[in-house]
Amino acid sequence: MRTFDYTQELPVVDGQPPAKAIDDVVSKPLDTKPGKVWKILITITSLMLLVGGGALVWTFYKGIGVWGNNQPVSWGFDIVNFVFWVGIGHAGTLISAILFLLRQRWRTGIARFAEAMTIFAVMCAGIFPAIHTGRAWLDGYLFPYPNANHIWVNFTSPLLWDVFAVSTYFTVSLVFWYIGLIPDFATLRDRTESKLKKTIYTIFSLGWRHSTRHWQHYEKTYMILAGFATPLVLSVHTIVSFDFAVSVIPGWHTTIFPPYFVAGAVFSGFAMVQNVLIFVRQAFNMKHIITIKHLERMNQIIILVGTMVGYAYAMEFFIAWYSGNQFETFTFINRAFGPYAWAYWIMVSCNVILPQLFWSKKIRTTIVPMFVIGIIVNIGMWFERFVIIVTSLSRDFLPSSWGMYTPTIYDLGILMFSFGLFFTNVLIFVKTMPSVSISEIKAVVDGAQPSHRGGGHHE
Amino acid sequence: MEYQKKELPDKVKNTGFLFAGIGLLLIAVSYILDPRREAFNNIIGLTFFASIAIGALALVALEYISGAVWSVPFRRVSEFIASSLPLVLVFAIPLFLMLGMLFHWTHPEVVSADKLLSGKSPYLNIPFFIGRTIGVILVLYVFYALFTRNSRKQDESKEQGLTRTNVKLSAAFMPVAGIGLTLLSIDWIMSLEPHWYSTIFGVYYISATLLAGLAATTYASVSLNEAGYLIPGVNKDHYYSLGALMFAITNFWAYIAFSQFLLIWYANIPEESIWFVMRWEGGWKYISILLIFVRFVIPYAGLLSQPSKSNPKRLKQISIFILIAHFFDLYWLIMPTFSKTVVFSFYELGFPLFVVGVVILAFYYQTKKHNLVAVGDPKLQRGLDFHL
Amino acid sequence: MTEHSRHTEEADIMNKKIYSIGGLFDTPDSITHAAEEAVKEGYTKFDVNTPYPVHGMESAMKLKPSLIGLVTLFIGLSGAAFAFMFMYWVSVVDYPLIIGGKPFFSWPAFVPVTFEVTVLSAAVGTVAVMIALFFKFPNNAHPLHDTNYMKHVSSDRFGLNVVAIDPLFDESKVRDFLSRTGAKDIEIFYEPERKPIRVFDPKFIGLLVVIAMVTAGVTYFTLNKLLYMPPFTWMAEQDRLSSQSQNAMFTDGFGMRNPVEGTVARGFTPYEFKGQPDSVVRNLSNPLPFSKEVIDRGKMRYNTYCSPCHGYFGKGDSRLNGQFPNPPTLHSDKVRNWPDGNIYHVITNGQNVMPSYDKQITRDDRWAIIHYIRVLQRSLNAKDTDLETKK
Repeated sequence: MRTFDYTQELPVVDGQPPAKAIDDVVSKPLDTKPGKVWKILITITSLMLLVGGGALVWTFYKGIGVWGNNQPVSWGFDIVNFVFWVGIGHAGTLISAILFLLRQRWRTGIARFAEAMTIFAVMCAGIFPAIHTGRAWLDGYLFPYPNANHIWVNFTSPLLWDVFAVSTYFTVSLVFWYIGLIPDFATLRDRTESKLKKTIYTIFSLGWRHSTRHWQHYEKTYMILAGFATPLVLSVHTIVSFDFAVSVIPGWHTTIFPPYFVAGAVFSGFAMVQNVLIFVRQAFNMKHIITIKHLERMNQIIILVGTMVGYAYAMEFFIAWYSGNQFETFTFINRAFGPYAWAYWIMVSCNVILPQLFWSKKIRTTIVPMFVIGIIVNIGMWFERFVIIVTSLSRDFLPSSWGMYTPTIYDLGILMFSFGLFFTNVLIFVKTMPSVSISEIKAVVDGAQPSHRGGGHHE
Repeated sequence: MEYQKKELPDKVKNTGFLFAGIGLLLIAVSYILDPRREAFNNIIGLTFFASIAIGALALVALEYISGAVWSVPFRRVSEFIASSLPLVLVFAIPLFLMLGMLFHWTHPEVVSADKLLSGKSPYLNIPFFIGRTIGVILVLYVFYALFTRNSRKQDESKEQGLTRTNVKLSAAFMPVAGIGLTLLSIDWIMSLEPHWYSTIFGVYYISATLLAGLAATTYASVSLNEAGYLIPGVNKDHYYSLGALMFAITNFWAYIAFSQFLLIWYANIPEESIWFVMRWEGGWKYISILLIFVRFVIPYAGLLSQPSKSNPKRLKQISIFILIAHFFDLYWLIMPTFSKTVVFSFYELGFPLFVVGVVILAFYYQTKKHNLVAVGDPKLQRGLDFHL
Repeated sequence: MTEHSRHTEEADIMNKKIYSIGGLFDTPDSITHAAEEAVKEGYTKFDVNTPYPVHGMESAMKLKPSLIGLVTLFIGLSGAAFAFMFMYWVSVVDYPLIIGGKPFFSWPAFVPVTFEVTVLSAAVGTVAVMIALFFKFPNNAHPLHDTNYMKHVSSDRFGLNVVAIDPLFDESKVRDFLSRTGAKDIEIFYEPERKPIRVFDPKFIGLLVVIAMVTAGVTYFTLNKLLYMPPFTWMAEQDRLSSQSQNAMFTDGFGMRNPVEGTVARGFTPYEFKGQPDSVVRNLSNPLPFSKEVIDRGKMRYNTYCSPCHGYFGKGDSRLNGQFPNPPTLHSDKVRNWPDGNIYHVITNGQNVMPSYDKQITRDDRWAIIHYIRVLQRSLNAKDTDLETKK
């Protein structure tokens, strides 16, 4: 039998479940007591949160001197983790906004989840710039407000652009996510039996009535938000890349950084979303909503953006040689064969070589290998940031000021804290909120829309 | 699905010959008057032509790989525009004879005196340079030939496996075209200033190429559909998609161009900023500022509102405008090397007119031989049923 | 049961006002058809409730296109303009700093923030306007809530209801219309009784007071106490030497060190007439112009450094209550006839009890002070011509 048929669209939902059944499936995790697996997992993630939180508290008490950063590598784990987590967030917006604008309807089943992951990832990312100032309780000064000292922030600094980009990104993602949740809260409000839940859902649904007069503005606004989120997501990682690229450090100052960082961000983000979705569909019996075809599509996108990242690596290397600039040339040779060569080769093999396995349809559609490759991609992308930041700083223009960087246990602890925060949030999210958009899924089930001939409403 | 193959009127052919004729005349006159200047214009013509042809081909591949359906009714239009691809080499041949006039890395005495250039000579040398250009065009042409052969076979057989083959081909096409366009842009544009370098330059040219191919496709598709040469069923939503894609790529171009400028302006390393300084002095300042408006602000404003994206008249205007803007962009990229002050007169007009004429003629002769709609494509019906 | 109680109590119904009549449909085709019929019937104030947006429903209901896009455009442009102008004001007008050798007005560097603020204001503004003005949300007291109708349109069926404010509304006609178009479970919705909101409810006021007190208290505690407790003070209390404290490391026990003998500060030129008699410096002339800015500067410096002994007007009336011998007046003929260079020399080297001021007052400021002293002297010895120049 042929496995492809181009005359039919890829179904968004397997089968034709009635609307009621969709309500039931999506709200099941909300209405049932948590299972054993969930309890074990939340224990693990809370432990990570707790132990890592210790490292965080110690940093607050003692100052950031407990980290491994020192001259010449004055940026270490803090910014590596920041860039890593912001990148993870990008896939969510890509799925929810860009694929929405491209009318890729298969995104429906996974969009809500991906948006939630965006928010959690940006929260994790936000920790690092907030604490790297040393006195996180004074971070209010990062924002321009008329303060008693009569000083203003420096608007020409890319680090300040970061403040604006990340806070805008977080706010807009949150608004986008909440807008999508309103109709679902209304549906939950009207089906729940528990009084407490009803109160909560009533508050959050704002009194939504599923009125067409509202849907009209709602859909338009959703599209506008998607239209804004698309350039926003590009701008965020672009601005993150400016943190490096506006400087004159060899290996940092290169013009391809903006699109290269965006591609890398989408790359790692998709791998993370794919990993978590595999877990969710197994755990909550949503295999007909998050189908293997969706995961295959995600894997195809992973290899597409992976190739873009590969292009950027090649271009950087080529131009480093072509430029004839001895510092540029040295930086890249140093990356590949210097003291941090191990990190470089982890990065190359995880980001460029191993994802090539996705060219095979069998691997693309089998759960275990794709899960493993997803993890590998994320390891590779973490190391990409490590390589960029640490190798360039540890050996720049003057050999007399070279030095090595070693993270301390507190660096690792805070990294663990961020992972704990992320996964704890994910676990709480799947138990408390509809992790698939009920109203969007209903709208794309076969037969949910009026037949084309019957309505007579098309131009 | 009731497609009737119709011949394009002679008017199209005559327009093509008119453009090509005037263009050729201007080129001949200019080559006699000022061969060096016209050689630079020849590069503009070459890169302009290459981006229309390769851009159209890339749209075909993008449709296959993304599984898009809305563009299926127009795919042949892109294919026909891309059919002019081998002619790009015709534009390169006179240049191969005049490389010494254009690229100062071609002079051995200059290279041996310059440490940087001698370091680059394994890449920047005449045989490899010529080989790269011919190689890139030929490899892309092979892709073109395979795509269209399968698609034409499908007109008769309606075999779905052919679409599958093309999807696989397009997956291979993507990296090849990306590298090919990067090489073309580095060779023909960046190496005019062989000391200057920018890693984003390939992406800059790729975005411009996609936009040029799309603008040409949009203009041809909308005109043909209005005149009734395409299959019935193409509606506002198809137009909207074309407009939205043009809007998106225009923004993408602006993003890439701004990123390149900001990073070079901010770091202000002399060997990099000189490239922008050259485009700021001697009157080039006005051209640079104009470019922001022509290439970004005007198309952006013209396509911003939702109705304008699906308005056929607006789409035709904007797509022509984008092609002009693309030419203008290439002019801005290439001519400052030729002259420290702004020069613009009939010398510059020969090549764009000639390119437009050649594309129209290539298109015309393709329509004589082949269907203007991919009638055997399994996604065609879905493409016609497309609604937002 | 309780949620339906208000519909089951017959007595109440007599007093209640009808809000609307609605019915439920099973398929998207039938609800689209019903909406078209309602338009044909002439109803304008009716609504269709569906669990998800049904394609083509807007045109079936003949709704005008949404104008929310204009709101976005307006807010977005305002945000962009505000951000750009604000950055201009901060970086050029209010707090100009040279950064990276760039001009104050570095517009390319303002682009990222302008973009972010545009997106932020447009996105948040659009949603806020939509929710608050277009939807008039939050509204949990709407008559449709907690009805069987709402339960279904929230989940699996499609509802159409004609609102009583429609000019063509008539209870029986609407019922007829609904059953004719195939609606099931036709239901009447009543306006809820609205309790007036009492702003001056003592409980409410009390709540406000409590919130205000808690907020003020927490803010006060945070800003005035908490931030001065460890670990927040670690920058202030660290293992370093405070100025003018003891240090055992040095044999003399002083924490502060003197510069090495013969050290010259960067950009410092020693005073070439140090210790020489007055006659040498008499001929120095004041290099500063006799302008208002210079005199203002001189006044400021004079009031700071000279006036404690010489008095604000140079009369020698010290404010120090005789702790030091009072200096002579500056209005004496001797001082008035001194050339500027002589006064300069005195300020620089001191004279009698007066110490040298060359560490405290910069050279330019000394010359500015001299101009000011001349102004003071002139004020007690004005000439007739001064009056004329006043015109």
